[in-house]
Amino acid sequence: MVDILTLALTHGLMAIALWRLLWRDDLDRDGDTPRRPKPWLAARRADSDEAA
Amino acid sequence: MLDIALLGFVAMFLAFGFKRPFLWVLAYIYIDAVAPQKIGWSVIHLIPLSLIAFIAAFGGWAVLDRKQGSRFTLRQALIAVLLAYCAYTTTVADFPVEALAKWEWVWKALLFAIFLPLTLRTRLRLEATALIMVLAIGTIVINGGVKTVLGGGGYGELALLVQENSGLYEGSILSTVAVASIPLALWLARHGTIFRPDWRVWTFVGGLIFACLLIPIGTAARTGLVCAAFLAVLMLRSAKRRFLYAGLGAFALVLAMPFLPQSFLARMGTITEHSDDESASTRVAVWAWTLNYVKDHPFGGGFDAYRSNSFTYRMPKVTGTPPNVQVTYETVTDKGRAYHSSYFEMLGEQGWPGLALWLVLQLLGVWQMERIRWRFRRSVEGTASWQWGLATALQQAQLTYLLGAAFVGIAYQPYIFMLIGLQCGLWSYVKRTAREAPKARFKRPGSAEALRKAGAAPA
Repeated sequence: MVDILTLALTHGLMAIALWRLLWRDDLDRDGDTPRRPKPWLAARRADSDEAA
Repeated sequence: MLDIALLGFVAMFLAFGFKRPFLWVLAYIYIDAVAPQKIGWSVIHLIPLSLIAFIAAFGGWAVLDRKQGSRFTLRQALIAVLLAYCAYTTTVADFPVEALAKWEWVWKALLFAIFLPLTLRTRLRLEATALIMVLAIGTIVINGGVKTVLGGGGYGELALLVQENSGLYEGSILSTVAVASIPLALWLARHGTIFRPDWRVWTFVGGLIFACLLIPIGTAARTGLVCAAFLAVLMLRSAKRRFLYAGLGAFALVLAMPFLPQSFLARMGTITEHSDDESASTRVAVWAWTLNYVKDHPFGGGFDAYRSNSFTYRMPKVTGTPPNVQVTYETVTDKGRAYHSSYFEMLGEQGWPGLALWLVLQLLGVWQMERIRWRFRRSVEGTASWQWGLATALQQAQLTYLLGAAFVGIAYQPYIFMLIGLQCGLWSYVKRTAREAPKARFKRPGSAEALRKAGAAPA
């Protein structure tokens, strides 16, 4: 009985936490992460623009 | 019935991962700590849950997850070197079969610790990992705590969820890890965004901490008591109202004394008098043996190298009741005694290079967390910032572990390696997102530079 009750408590909390995480976009990206500068990409884009 | 419920929970966990692949990482943490396949009775035993979650976590990250912000840190490289070194010592181990058996779980723990920080790219992920770790250990601890209150304790007698003295379900290991988890639970209660701080959260965390403290009592593991006392002192360092906190702690201790079972008090009384205690004298003998062993084997003997030890020594045995006490000496022979200390475990199994690597890995963590504390104490939010709080919690947890580790062989404990993974994740997150704290400059407030910094153009 103790086993069932304690398992239900923590597993219930984990289930709620997971459900909430499903709908949080900041799980996968948050505003604090700046993009890495990619100068080579900008250069390549500029080249392709010139070629066009 | 229990099997179906647990299987259903794991299935839900894994299904959610299709929307958010990071949840598979959490699923692995949960399965590794709680071992639901061992709690159940029938079908669930047959399914390799851990393996499924392991593959899902890796695969999900490699194929579906964004890598932006993933960084490979120095400590992950150290774990990788340690992993390679352990692989080598396993091939030349003194006891190849036993070494291979230990290698089978150690490599997973180390590999996961290397992998985990790569996925911890956002604050919410750091929090979610801490939350699942705390709730996972809480599953075992709350159960053990309730049973202790109901009177089912005793050394090696507390019936936990799993009737097996393995993994986190071993008394001394559990009490060390439970006490080490307390700071993390407190951090979640203060800074949680999944469960925002309110009276319900604090009630739960209060109960959880109480249960964590009951585990050393329930399992009568002396290590747990030493860890709890040490953690209390450590927390004093970061507490705002130190005297109030210390007073409350002392008051709680006095209140708790009469409720402690006699068997517990008797066992705790032996902490200081180790000479007539076989468990403690064997430890000292094993440690001396290990130091001798590495003189001939400086590169260690591979996993489970302790199996070759054997000692004969004389133990005092006290008979009779005072004042008619007789002390006789008996000869006792012990064979294949485990290290009972993570430091000697590393030394005996992986030799000096292994111990050095492990120590650098641990101490670097303590230092990195101190750096983060230092940096954020000077930030706008100061000690109220979540980064300061998490670094403090992780440092306290690790120091508590490092003390407990002196008496328990938990050098490769997967739960602790997850804690290290969390530290690496926080370190790389902070390095990436927070700007360097401004160095002290001795300029007058009205100087041109100060005005420029404040955003106003100098006249």
